[in-house]
Amino acid sequence: MVDQFAIQYQSPLRVLVVEDNPVDLTVIKSMLTGTTDNYTFLKTASTIKTALEIIEEYPIDVVILDLNLPDSQGEKTLQTVHNRFNDLTIVVNTGAYEEELGLHTLSNGAQDFLVKGRYTAYTLNKVLHFAIKRKKLETELTRTVQQVKDAQEQLLQAEKMNVVGILASGIAHEVRNPLATILYGITYLHENIRVEDKNYHHVLKNIKEATKRANDIISDLLDFSKFKKLQLDETNIHHVIKKALSLIQYEIDKKTLQIVNDFQNSIPPIKIDQNRIEQVIVNLLLNAIHATEEGKISIRTYTRTLSNDLTEIPQISRKNFTPGQQALFCSIDDSGSGIPAEDIDQVFYPFFTSRRAKGGIGLGLYVARNIIDIHKGALILKNNEDKGAQAIVVLPYR
Amino acid sequence: MKKKILLIDDEAAFTSMLKLFLESTGEYNVAVENNPHRAVNAAEIHTPHLILLDVIMPELEGSDVADRIRQHPNLNKTPIIFLTATIREDEMQESQGVIADQQFIAKLSNTDFLIDSIEKKIALTHS
Ligand SMILES: Nc1ncnc2c1ncn2[C@@H]1O[C@H](COP(=O)(O)OP(=O)(O)OP(=O)(O)O)[C@@H](O)[C@H]1O
Ligand SMILES: [Mg+2]
Repeated sequence: MVDQFAIQYQSPLRVLVVEDNPVDLTVIKSMLTGTTDNYTFLKTASTIKTALEIIEEYPIDVVILDLNLPDSQGEKTLQTVHNRFNDLTIVVNTGAYEEELGLHTLSNGAQDFLVKGRYTAYTLNKVLHFAIKRKKLETELTRTVQQVKDAQEQLLQAEKMNVVGILASGIAHEVRNPLATILYGITYLHENIRVEDKNYHHVLKNIKEATKRANDIISDLLDFSKFKKLQLDETNIHHVIKKALSLIQYEIDKKTLQIVNDFQNSIPPIKIDQNRIEQVIVNLLLNAIHATEEGKISIRTYTRTLSNDLTEIPQISRKNFTPGQQALFCSIDDSGSGIPAEDIDQVFYPFFTSRRAKGGIGLGLYVARNIIDIHKGALILKNNEDKGAQAIVVLPYR
Repeated sequence: MKKKILLIDDEAAFTSMLKLFLESTGEYNVAVENNPHRAVNAAEIHTPHLILLDVIMPELEGSDVADRIRQHPNLNKTPIIFLTATIREDEMQESQGVIADQQFIAKLSNTDFLIDSIEKKIALTHS
């Protein structure tokens, strides 16, 4: 049995033993060299300073690390080595009465720990080989997780780019109205008002050119992000919600949140632009998450026949619906801070945000409402009676 | 005789400048309505030769106003030109401003193009 294992562990290792007690060092060295000749490389250090120098200079597979050295004690020793050499496999060698400390080191960068005087040459070999293997897997896992995170970040960025199109036409409208006012004003002045001052026409000409320049910038912006037509397809809203959730999973994971899906069975497909509605759901979910430190966020879907007076739809959006029409409702209900009474009229304005310091831009709701508007739907945001806020998207079936 | 134009746009500063400019040519009398809900009413009162209508207004969109005017028995022949801020001037000129059978003009068109379009549209409907 033992022999079988011995064969398995025979690949050569490059080991550094960091140990200031000469007796302990001798024990380890003899264990390592006694069982097999395969330690092609065995270095020793008695201080953390020399240990770091050796790791810097030589390729080392695994370090056996005593925590209490003349120039560094306790967990700090592990931290120092681990922080500086993240990818290095470390096995901690603790004193006989420090098992608890040993356990602790596992969450701070060590792959395993040995208790002095309690292991044999065989277990030492096994521990070192396993530690290296484990470290390798851990590194791969960390890298994969990072890649997934990066990909998510990029997806979200792409979502936000969609925003630019909607924003651009908003800006064009807001900025061009005053520009047009200026333009017609100076054209009138230029053609109708006689002024003696020799600078008069020069000033008008400059204003006119500046106006034109500002207008060209708006044109470029529109060009860059021409608000594309809706791409309407028969869509299962639940797929869209799930996709939105997967895009922001990492935001959910940052907190202690419970996401509850309360979906109506066999919901009829609805004609929508999937990407844009997904963006609406993403924006609304992000708001709910940002407002909620811990607790529940419920996503509910259901279909209803609208009433004859359309009271369930806010006044401003009623023109989009007809009484008795079938509509799809999707509500996102959080248990967070709710919206302060003085803000509730402003949350849909572009650039209104209460999260400026935390990176909020104040476009989430503005964009969401625009998208819902061009779908001829309604977007409602209100406070819950007990706690938190609720956003409801209503989309008509046609 | 001067031609009557009704200008419907919620931006009061813009309408007063455009009115000033158009009237300074000596060719037009311009009536202004800043409340899109009163647009049909204003058209009934002024019976204009042409309506200049903003596309994006809060509460009531330009296209809805146009629908109402076109459904009105006395107004349905009145030509409408839409004013828009969200289209570029060169895009506009490519199609001579005709998009989906509707006449559009960029709000920041050069002023000659604006006059030109107005004249053509009136000539077309009243010939
Ligand atoms: N579920 C909610 N609970 C509490 N407040 C909310 C909620 N949703 C929106 N708000 C308020 O409305 C404001 C505007 O929301 P909006 O999504 O437009 O912008 P933002 O989230 O601040 O920034 P971003 O542009 O990144 O979305 C928020 O800053 C917040 O104050
Ligand atoms: Mg937001």
